[in-house]
Amino acid sequence: MPQIDPTKPRFWRSVEDFTSGADRPKAAHGYPELVGREFPVGATEIDGATRRDFLKLVGLTAAGTMAAGCMRNPPERVLPYVRQPADIRPGIPLHYATSMSLGGYGIGLLVTSREGRPIKIEGNPDHPASFGASGTFEQALAYGVYDPQRGKSVKRKGEQSGWKSFVSDVQTRIAAAKADNGKKVVFLDGPTASPFDGWLRKQVGKTLPEATFVTYTGVDRDAVFDGTELAFGQRLETRFDFDKARVVVALDDDFLESGPDRLVNARDFARHRVPEPEGAEGAASLGGHDVGGKREPAGEWMNRLYVAECGYSVTGGQADHRLRVRGSEIVCLAAALYARIVPEGAADVAALGAPFKDSKWVAAVAKDLASRGPTAVVTVGTRQPAEVHALAAAINATLKSEVVEYGLPLLLDTKSGSSTLKDIVAAANAGQIDTLVITAWNPVYAAPADIPFADALKKIPNVVYYGQFEDETSVHAHWYIPAAHELESWGDSTSMDGTVAIQQPLIAPLFDGVQRGELFGAFAGLPDRTAHELLREAHAQNSADITANGGFDSWWERVLQKGVLSPTPPDTIHPTLQAGKIGERLRPFKFERIEGIEVNYVVDNKVHDGRYADNAWLQELPEPLTKVVWGNVAMISPAMAEKNNLAAEEIVKITVDGRAMEVPLFVLPGHADDAISIAIGYGRAGGEAIARGVGSNVNTLRTTAALWFGARATLAKTGKSDRLGITQEHWAMEGRPIALTAELADIKRKHLPMIEEQNGPQPSMMDEWPNTTPEGYRWAMAIDMAKCTGCNACILACESENNILIVGKDQVRRGREMHWLRVDRYFEEVDGSLADAKVVLQPMACVQCEKAPCEYVCPVNATVHSDEGLNDMVYNRCVGTRYCANNCPYKVRRFNYLNWHNNLQGTYEMKMNPDVTVRARGVIEKCTYCVQRIEQARIATRIENHGVGRVIRDGEIVTACQQSCASGAITFGSLHDPKSAVSKLHADERAYAVLWELNTRPRTRHLAKVRNPNPELA
Amino acid sequence: MATTSHVLFPRWSNHLVRALLGVVGIGAGMLLVFAFAYFRSPLFTRQNEPINQPVEFDHRHHVRDHGIDCRFCHTTVEKGASAGYPPSEVCGSCHGQVWNKSPYLAPIRTSLFTNKPLEWLRVHDLRDYVYFNHAAHVNKGVGCATCHGRVDKMAAVYKHAPLNMGWCLDCHRNPNHNLRPREFITSTTWIADDPEAVGAAVAKQNNVHTRVSCSTCHR
Repeated sequence: MPQIDPTKPRFWRSVEDFTSGADRPKAAHGYPELVGREFPVGATEIDGATRRDFLKLVGLTAAGTMAAGCMRNPPERVLPYVRQPADIRPGIPLHYATSMSLGGYGIGLLVTSREGRPIKIEGNPDHPASFGASGTFEQALAYGVYDPQRGKSVKRKGEQSGWKSFVSDVQTRIAAAKADNGKKVVFLDGPTASPFDGWLRKQVGKTLPEATFVTYTGVDRDAVFDGTELAFGQRLETRFDFDKARVVVALDDDFLESGPDRLVNARDFARHRVPEPEGAEGAASLGGHDVGGKREPAGEWMNRLYVAECGYSVTGGQADHRLRVRGSEIVCLAAALYARIVPEGAADVAALGAPFKDSKWVAAVAKDLASRGPTAVVTVGTRQPAEVHALAAAINATLKSEVVEYGLPLLLDTKSGSSTLKDIVAAANAGQIDTLVITAWNPVYAAPADIPFADALKKIPNVVYYGQFEDETSVHAHWYIPAAHELESWGDSTSMDGTVAIQQPLIAPLFDGVQRGELFGAFAGLPDRTAHELLREAHAQNSADITANGGFDSWWERVLQKGVLSPTPPDTIHPTLQAGKIGERLRPFKFERIEGIEVNYVVDNKVHDGRYADNAWLQELPEPLTKVVWGNVAMISPAMAEKNNLAAEEIVKITVDGRAMEVPLFVLPGHADDAISIAIGYGRAGGEAIARGVGSNVNTLRTTAALWFGARATLAKTGKSDRLGITQEHWAMEGRPIALTAELADIKRKHLPMIEEQNGPQPSMMDEWPNTTPEGYRWAMAIDMAKCTGCNACILACESENNILIVGKDQVRRGREMHWLRVDRYFEEVDGSLADAKVVLQPMACVQCEKAPCEYVCPVNATVHSDEGLNDMVYNRCVGTRYCANNCPYKVRRFNYLNWHNNLQGTYEMKMNPDVTVRARGVIEKCTYCVQRIEQARIATRIENHGVGRVIRDGEIVTACQQSCASGAITFGSLHDPKSAVSKLHADERAYAVLWELNTRPRTRHLAKVRNPNPELA
Repeated sequence: MATTSHVLFPRWSNHLVRALLGVVGIGAGMLLVFAFAYFRSPLFTRQNEPINQPVEFDHRHHVRDHGIDCRFCHTTVEKGASAGYPPSEVCGSCHGQVWNKSPYLAPIRTSLFTNKPLEWLRVHDLRDYVYFNHAAHVNKGVGCATCHGRVDKMAAVYKHAPLNMGWCLDCHRNPNHNLRPREFITSTTWIADDPEAVGAAVAKQNNVHTRVSCSTCHR
């Protein structure tokens, strides 16, 4: 083991790890006992059983196994189709293009269907918003569709009813409402940019011309539109082309992980997160990159990211310079940048009265921005008020930034924040609403505490709630209509760049869900029409394209096959800054500094605003920075924990304006001082069994005035504590150089001693690994830590592909999580403290060692080497000694302590990928490099040319994690081909073998993370 | 001080214990031998045991007498992992015309009229952790009869081969004697004059490279 060099950067798993060092002060907070232990508490123990019980069980099991072994299984039954559908050939998967919407904007999907069951979601390569990649919410659809907690029947006042009774009720009400043109009918919808929804609203308008449609979502983009209105006098959608960006300043903006364009942003940003362009594109641009009409000099490929934020977001983890600022003070920072960049900006800002913080940081950032001009950009998160968006828009306009693009809003409604709820409450109290149709997600739960939305519903004679679950809102509704899942419905969507994609069902509604089109059809007087018919009719007007493709039917087939309509070029608008007016418009804005502790609410990476809370896959994902599963925590900075004598996992009572809630604490390095961050979306109290009671509901604290931040909170100890489910502490790497980083300047001058050290000669007494296969494949992977954002999409993709099961919070506490792939997060100390800690993320799965320590210790040969270098795991041989897991230096082997699949209820079983064995209790499992995909590709290529076959081309096999990764951090291929992408990456100067000194020769090599700091801030 | 009066067991019991240990040891060894033999025997593998299907479908009649190619019913054998069972419709496509009143075919007519699938019993049942692929074998020159035997002579189909891992590996280690030219793949009667030579030629032509790594079949 190499000596720890005090001059090198040091990495820590957590605050507790950092403070547990001998030379460190002991912290009051933390999990010191966890850091000290080799295994988590209870990892090797049986619950509530004595040694005698254990021996009895062993005896019984042995007897049972012998008895079972001698018995012959009854013959399996085979049920062929009566009439086989033309497309379906049992055993051969089909792929269908569809789309989903989140926050109103569409993302194209490609869904793998096995014998009619959707089992795997991937991005549609033909769709510009997903380009083949996908995020966690997309992946999780495949689990959500089988959720047996979903609403199963139409209910009237809580009693079981039927769709037909609802339709006849609607018809009588429409007949009555026609008298005043439906003036008292209100539709409360979620945000949508779907043309079909627009068409449906028109149809409803034909029967009820004065019915109103309003939009509400807990995670709205109103500030973006309000901000452009302030800056340009026009409500515009804002998009970013990070491919052109070289300097990015993100003010409380998690653009890599949240927002409708997150996949595209992650891809474009990651392309420039490496020192030099890669692959073919790199060769083309070696002479310089064409940006902003001028040729950029070579070597200016990598971007630089400044982030100012309160909590630690995924985007913050990528920052070269990160500033911890409380949410309410971002405006001061924006104003300071504005004053330095915009001519006469200082005067405007002075009028604001905000004590804007001009500092060395601001000066350096402003200088960097100004020097990059068109390739620089300032982005602002949707949590920030319109004024900050306006300031950023003015800065971008002054810089003549080509990164930012404006377009006319595609959303049907650009007001979707809490103001619409307020309007509804007022109208309901005034008796102006007879029928309220809620298709927005769960407004009773999502509404801030100062909007008495649930009370207002009592004043409306007829409330219809359409949702996938019977939740907090459905109990207040007169009619509950179960919504069909996204994978069960016809519809369409529009992505941020204007691409329209069709949504087609993969499976008939499992629980009698009603499709959106049919619900609106009932109100449009078209109750007999299916959603499919309505959608076809809505699209029958695309005349030019239809004629060009030989009539509607053939055009429709083409569209369904491709998933997207022929793209229409997006309307890009070049608005002019209303110079001189910004200061004037900003004047009503009053900045008030919060004394004491400010509370920040963040959108959750897993359950979003709470709508995915019943999805156990998402619940069990580790939060990217805290690595907490199953629940939310109050994140505070280490300094604040010290000052207030608070410890992690302690449950505290947070009080805002007399409203209180209790939540466990988490000490997060890099968090702003005097602030608490809590994720929304937890503490659900609806009918969903999985969601109920997980985490704490912060909506009870929120008000419209301080929706995301800006409220003063008091903290009180409760004396209680909660052991969090954290995947962070279990997998210690014992202080060795595991996750490496390098600075761009050092890469350029080829000064990389840390990486060279990890690449030295590896003498061995054994023969070199033989290469016996005729094709010579040597499978390998490269993971670029410079590109990984830690968004977790790969974990879910792996879970989905490989039938990995969830275990629940209690089992995660014991370190029994089953994820084959994990993303390790290390905090890097800055100036000897974790206050401004930087983050390195390292995806880690089985690295397929050529000299694998696990193989030597298996007594039953259950893990052996394949001829192509895979470390095969043979489940049916495994007897569960766990020697391999103990001997694995990477700690990537997972043991089935229990029969997790016994927890699966009927419908969940349909989710299983038939190409991968479902593992039973007592068996070790781990990453296989998606060996089923390798074998499928091998068989497909070997039987080509009448059985003569051909070699598998580079890039033909794509592992599940690689496929989902938007930033392209994962590359898979064969090393036998020196021209393959993975061979090139293995030869990269940043590539190294993790734990090289153990001589395990991993086939997965990691590429060191690159940082591009500003020398002026060094 | 121990004296003989305090001995719990008489001296001869030592011999008894030794004898018992010997018996147990031999017994365990025999049990092991027996288990190895049993799990390889047709008793366990159900080799050569005709299985009664819900329809008395006679392969002799269809294959031998009428010369219907295997692929007429088992349509995906060249394309997918599974050879495929024919949907009831395939039976009906002929038997709607011929023997359409035969009582033997009543289950098929019921299936077609009620839209309920026939419940066939799997004869060649591999464990769920084994991923066998028909297309990979058929396209490389392994004939149907090599594993399934003379189906044209079977009234009710039975397992011709043991289908255990040793049997698979025997061929994967030395496939040549089981390879045949493409045109005879579905033939039940084809016999090579010189199996090694024919197989070697097919192996060369089809680039046959068998693999014995675990993940070839276990995923």
